[in-house]
Amino acid sequence: MSIPNAEILLAFKAGRAFRREGTNTVEPSPTKGAIYLTNGEDGLLHFIWKNRATNTIEEDLILFPFDASFVKVAQSTGRIYVLKFSSSNQRHFFWMQDASDARDEEFKANVNGLLMDPEFDMQWNIPITSTEPQASTSAAATQAVPAASAPGGSSGFAATPEQLATLSQMLTSMSSPASAPPEVSLSDILTPANLGPLFASHPELVPALFPHLPPDLPVPPSAEALQQIIHSPQFRAAVANFDQALRTGLLGGLVRSLGLPEEAGTGVGPFLRAIQEQADSEGGNSMDTD
Amino acid sequence: MSADDESSGWQLTESDPGVFTELLKSLELPLIVDDLYSLDPDSLASLKPLHALIFLFKWVPTSSDSPAPPRAGADDPDFPGFFAHQTVNNACATLAVFNALGNIPSLHGGPQLTDLLQFTQGMDPQTRGLVITSADWLREMHNALSPPSAFSLDGLGLPKRTEDAYHFVVYLPVMGALYELDGLKPHAIQHGAVEQSGEGWLKTAREVIEARINTYPVGALEFSLLALRDDPLPSLRSELEHAQSVGDSHMASEILSKVTNENSKRERWAFENSLRRHNHVGLVQALLLALAKAGKLAPAEEAAKKTMKERIEQRKARGEDMDED
Repeated sequence: MSIPNAEILLAFKAGRAFRREGTNTVEPSPTKGAIYLTNGEDGLLHFIWKNRATNTIEEDLILFPFDASFVKVAQSTGRIYVLKFSSSNQRHFFWMQDASDARDEEFKANVNGLLMDPEFDMQWNIPITSTEPQASTSAAATQAVPAASAPGGSSGFAATPEQLATLSQMLTSMSSPASAPPEVSLSDILTPANLGPLFASHPELVPALFPHLPPDLPVPPSAEALQQIIHSPQFRAAVANFDQALRTGLLGGLVRSLGLPEEAGTGVGPFLRAIQEQADSEGGNSMDTD
Repeated sequence: MSADDESSGWQLTESDPGVFTELLKSLELPLIVDDLYSLDPDSLASLKPLHALIFLFKWVPTSSDSPAPPRAGADDPDFPGFFAHQTVNNACATLAVFNALGNIPSLHGGPQLTDLLQFTQGMDPQTRGLVITSADWLREMHNALSPPSAFSLDGLGLPKRTEDAYHFVVYLPVMGALYELDGLKPHAIQHGAVEQSGEGWLKTAREVIEARINTYPVGALEFSLLALRDDPLPSLRSELEHAQSVGDSHMASEILSKVTNENSKRERWAFENSLRRHNHVGLVQALLLALAKAGKLAPAEEAAKKTMKERIEQRKARGEDMDED
């Protein structure tokens, strides 16, 4: 079964992995495969997994913008990624089969970009030509070449039993956190305990924040309303969501609209650094907030 | 991918009386939803006329293989009333409200609601659920109370603790019997005839709900109860006018305090709903910037890093699962 080239947005080599029933262990399946993101005839975004050995499509998921995300399994030191949905418990595990892992994160970022916006402009940091035989597996926006057309056996990745054993071993440690856990959370910075004293020592700050409060607040904006807001579960949830969103590293566009450099959207740390730089350049003593 | 595996554009909303009441207001219904803190007869009587109880729960399995508790009642495939399946996950709250509204006799809502309810007459529960969740105007009303998508967890497809999802079950009387309408079950469930005198259906409902709560091991069930009732303000206002006209100042001040309570609750709901709809990113940035200018951002970040480290240590010590699933 073939996928029309014109429909392919992105393609790369990846195999499937499956969770062993009743455990947190995910085991890679040795079958060679490829993930395709396509703009189907139906105008919808399809996430396809094709078996490169049999050349058949074994998984064809229609994805709606914002519903799914493709993330690295943090508990694994291997190259395992999971496609998950915000609206359901469904999980699809994959492992990267490109011989080099140099572009794994790039594929991931571009998959996520497409999952949020099918018109997403894909970003490639590493020139396609530098990855030699695997170049054909990454269909850049310019020319889409399905991975299956590459002679998989000679130039592509063929897992040896040793490699699989190593991978399998790395994955068994999945339930213990192996990779870096979050360092800092915005929720622990924007606490009433930190903000209360600030309002007390800089009362002129309070009215300057009024433009950022909901326009349909049923009471006139006041110091008391502001206190209520920073204590409210809705604001706390919004901070937590923004914090999590920053962790995707994909908020470059959003932070640009806030007047910050795109770099600030790559994580909580970079975001805080950008805020500090903005504060320094605007002068630490003036309390203008805009 | 089956229909219930995707959100079809429905966003997750909070299960809060203020959110439900806003939806009812958008549907032009003179109804509200209140929290119910007790099932005792006095609490229930004070909320009359009461149309339905919404039982929201999430079941926290105490061990992975503990079986679901036995179920009471009898499936009624020939249920004569309105029953829709929960065809979209995030729409569950709104579908539960519809399962209640569709069974309230002489409901006077807006034209869109009336048309939709009429249109789905005679449909099977699955089709009915699909038709309701396909109504764009309803989805917009529902989504109006969730954060702007640039800012919601839904919007970014981020890990969301799925166990946070509540299950919604509606209890209400239909044709003289108490029914349980659970959009995840194939059929309406009948719990027997209700008394026509005294406390009526609420007595049966209390017994059924209490029995249900008791089938779960202690600590395994998180739940809350909501009451769908007539908006009490119009009748309180006319009672107040009456008391004032006959010069009963004691009665008048008693009613006035009820009106004041109702109004302050509405103000709180309006305040919270405005926060729900708002994109707080601007405020977050302004607050962080203000901290930075006051030289307080760096120390706050240091302290927050320490807090995070301790939290992770504690989790490890408790052997908690760090899996985001």
